[in-house]
Amino acid sequence: MADQDKKSKKGKWGRRAFMITGGVVGGGLVVGVGGMLWVNHKIKQYTGEGMGAGDSLNAWIRIAEDNTITLAVPRSEMGQGVYTSIPMLIAEELEVDVQKVKIVHPQPESPYANTFLLTGQPRNVYKGMTLMEKIASVLPVVGTGGSTTISDGYDTLRAAGATAREALIMAGAQRWGVDKSECYAEDGHIINKTSKEKLTYGSLAADAAQIKVDKIPTLKAQKDFKILGKPVRRLDIPEKVDGTAEFGIDARPEGLLYAAIRHPEYLGGTIGSVQNIEEVEAMTGVKKVVVLKDGQGVAVVADNSWRAKNGALSLEVTEESNGHEGLSTAGVAAKMKSVIANNEMIATPESEGDVASVIASEGNQLIEAEYLVPYLAQATMEPLNCTVHVHEDRADVWVGHQAPSVIRDKVAAITGIDGANVTINMKYLGGGFGRRAEVDFVIKAAEVATVMKGTPIQLSYTREEDMRYGMYRPAVMSKFRAAITPGGDIAAWENKMALQSVGHSSMMRIMPSQAPDPKDDPMSSEGAAHLPYAMGSRKVAFGDLDLPIQVGNWRSVGSSQNGFFTESFIDECAAAAGKDPYVFRKNKLADHPRFVAVLDKVAEISNWSEPAGDNKFRGIALHKSFGSIVAEVAEITKVGEKEFSIDNYYCVIDCGRTVNPDTIEAQMQSGIVYGLSAAMYGQITIENGKIVEGNFPEYEMVRMNVTPHITTHIMEMDEYPTGVGEPGTPPAAPALTNALFAATGERIRELPLVKHGYSFV
Amino acid sequence: MAELKINGKSINVDVEGGMPLLWVLRDELDMTGTKYGCGVSSCGACTVMIDGVATKSCTFPVASAAGKEITTIEGIAKQGQLTAVQRAWIEHQVPQCGYCQSGMIMAAEALLDQNPEPTDMDIDESMTNICRCGTYQRVRQAIHSAAKLRANEAELLG
Repeated sequence: MADQDKKSKKGKWGRRAFMITGGVVGGGLVVGVGGMLWVNHKIKQYTGEGMGAGDSLNAWIRIAEDNTITLAVPRSEMGQGVYTSIPMLIAEELEVDVQKVKIVHPQPESPYANTFLLTGQPRNVYKGMTLMEKIASVLPVVGTGGSTTISDGYDTLRAAGATAREALIMAGAQRWGVDKSECYAEDGHIINKTSKEKLTYGSLAADAAQIKVDKIPTLKAQKDFKILGKPVRRLDIPEKVDGTAEFGIDARPEGLLYAAIRHPEYLGGTIGSVQNIEEVEAMTGVKKVVVLKDGQGVAVVADNSWRAKNGALSLEVTEESNGHEGLSTAGVAAKMKSVIANNEMIATPESEGDVASVIASEGNQLIEAEYLVPYLAQATMEPLNCTVHVHEDRADVWVGHQAPSVIRDKVAAITGIDGANVTINMKYLGGGFGRRAEVDFVIKAAEVATVMKGTPIQLSYTREEDMRYGMYRPAVMSKFRAAITPGGDIAAWENKMALQSVGHSSMMRIMPSQAPDPKDDPMSSEGAAHLPYAMGSRKVAFGDLDLPIQVGNWRSVGSSQNGFFTESFIDECAAAAGKDPYVFRKNKLADHPRFVAVLDKVAEISNWSEPAGDNKFRGIALHKSFGSIVAEVAEITKVGEKEFSIDNYYCVIDCGRTVNPDTIEAQMQSGIVYGLSAAMYGQITIENGKIVEGNFPEYEMVRMNVTPHITTHIMEMDEYPTGVGEPGTPPAAPALTNALFAATGERIRELPLVKHGYSFV
Repeated sequence: MAELKINGKSINVDVEGGMPLLWVLRDELDMTGTKYGCGVSSCGACTVMIDGVATKSCTFPVASAAGKEITTIEGIAKQGQLTAVQRAWIEHQVPQCGYCQSGMIMAAEALLDQNPEPTDMDIDESMTNICRCGTYQRVRQAIHSAAKLRANEAELLG
């Protein structure tokens, strides 16, 4: 019976939301919204800097007596605008001016779990959590990635705001001795409808903290929004124009020393020994040489980053290649070819009809193509770094990272300090793109700081170490076959791929308990399987590669290659059918009105049906990723033999309801430029077991002079919001290569374009 | 020992003459607004002005900076008043991650000092900094806006 009691209690708790009392700090109030209460309704101490020593369970909102409103933003700001969009969601229901709120970055506690990362589904705020949501909360998974921040928080954050507002209204009603229906909230005040009296939130906060709200209020309809869906100036921009924004690499705790690192140069290699430790330790400013565990690197600690780097470059190390000295880009490609040729598929995420017999049947046109993309580095502008100060019984960490809950556990494991005593000071991320979800730089900083106990240590990778010690977007081969009917239908579509599993490789490092087997990695085929186009029989399968190369998340992950592959090959199908690429796609989307609407819109804003003009050519691509549908048209001018100017990109996105449209536009511009860098220049190559490219001159990217003018249109929808940070990237490459096909007749099946002699002005 | 003049103030630093100015700023003086991106004068994140010229501080030896006027991102706003470039940057909501923006802004200030009305082609030629977030389109728009703001201010000052 006791168990049953517990269960019913859980259910009850789970369906109710509460103002959490007791968090009155310095005259302030900490409120939170229910949903976590099933786990632990005991009072829990929060360590979040700026949130005070309150004992709330779910802390999002704090209101001080002077009406200062502080909101918790537990997601990482890496340029995608979450330091503004999260406050917007709370402020919409809380009825406060989003430009006036203060934000703090709390510790990675359970209430801040990103359940969407694990479930791919938004939480229902009016119901208890599902099993997976509970797992995400208990672990907890506090992270930023997969373009999930808005999808995860769209309802829960608004509910947090609404619940707090309701309590403030009730406190106001109590104060005036009127029914709460006589009061409403507006711009940080509770207003008495009859007497027109006004009370600030701050003056009511302490009373509101004592009130239980037993039901989450109904959230506003889209038509009633004051903040959401309208362009809002980003809260982080003022400090990003005067040099005061602090990134991880800008942490300067008292007594800081700097560490540089030398990694093994061989992929899968290890450092055996260091010959000249004493000599390096005698160099100017050098304090210590630290050999890391398992031969994974040697760090040089000094009083200045440059001196540390010089020390690291002076190290004489012996290195074991561990048998990988023969590894090369060509060898990897040969391996992929063999996996596909021998049909060594480990998974078939999509199979419908009998593809082989349709392809063999007469009357249809058979087309085949083999595509290949290289390894890619994320190349965040801020090189990877982490600062750790190990004290006797606690540790402080300063870092820009996408997964604070994960690194807290890693630092605890390395230092032997209880995770509860590890403080993560989250700084701005100078780019993330998936690389800052990795833990290597944090673990290494913690190792060095443990040796240097008592002294804060900032470990930074030089650009060369950052690029060569990569967790790369994998190289991928994709082999297509399609049967086109005389009428221009796709009767059969087959796609066999060969690649290393990003999910397996990255999660084995980040959170091994959650690492999928390569055959179960949904990211391998995301954007390749279950395409919206009508295509008769279909088969999408992939094979694995066993290589000593670490692969990881790279903006848009599987869709980064699959968008290029599928949108190029569908263009090939259109050409084989003798159809216009836009019309061909549209005719195969009968059951997908949202895709059609996006495609039609991009055709409209790019004047697709009009001639492009002399020496001008267009290419189109359509791809859904992270829940959002994006179509892009590239407009290019031929200025010489294989020399092109990329004049315009037209971009249309359907991401459901919008939060900050200006941020969405910025993310489309960003995603396109990121995709173009990869399409035009990006390749990490391997020779004799080592990575060739080490810095920007060898790993070039789009700069001002080749950037197209980008026109973005956001579809007005009343659907649950989906991702924005990544979906702009996948269509960028195929839109360009499809335009190049229109211009030259040459079908680009391997990236980057510079490999084929193309240049851009 | 080198005597540096940074943002109008004289500062003595005691380091090797070959140490790049970037590391003097960041690690000796804790002026962290200027960023490290590549260390090989390729990305421009470390751009400062030396005697009014946009200079990549990651390869500029501190000994060569002695006696020259060094201006960093921390020193362009006067009496708390943001420059036209900084205001245009806010107006156009340019930064995303923001890491490259100190260098971008310094390069833009130097460009407008030399060329008050740059064309798109002028901007292409002088703004060679890398922004991995791809803010280039807004950087371009902001430079054009800042050029107008500067011209208006010059007019007001007569």
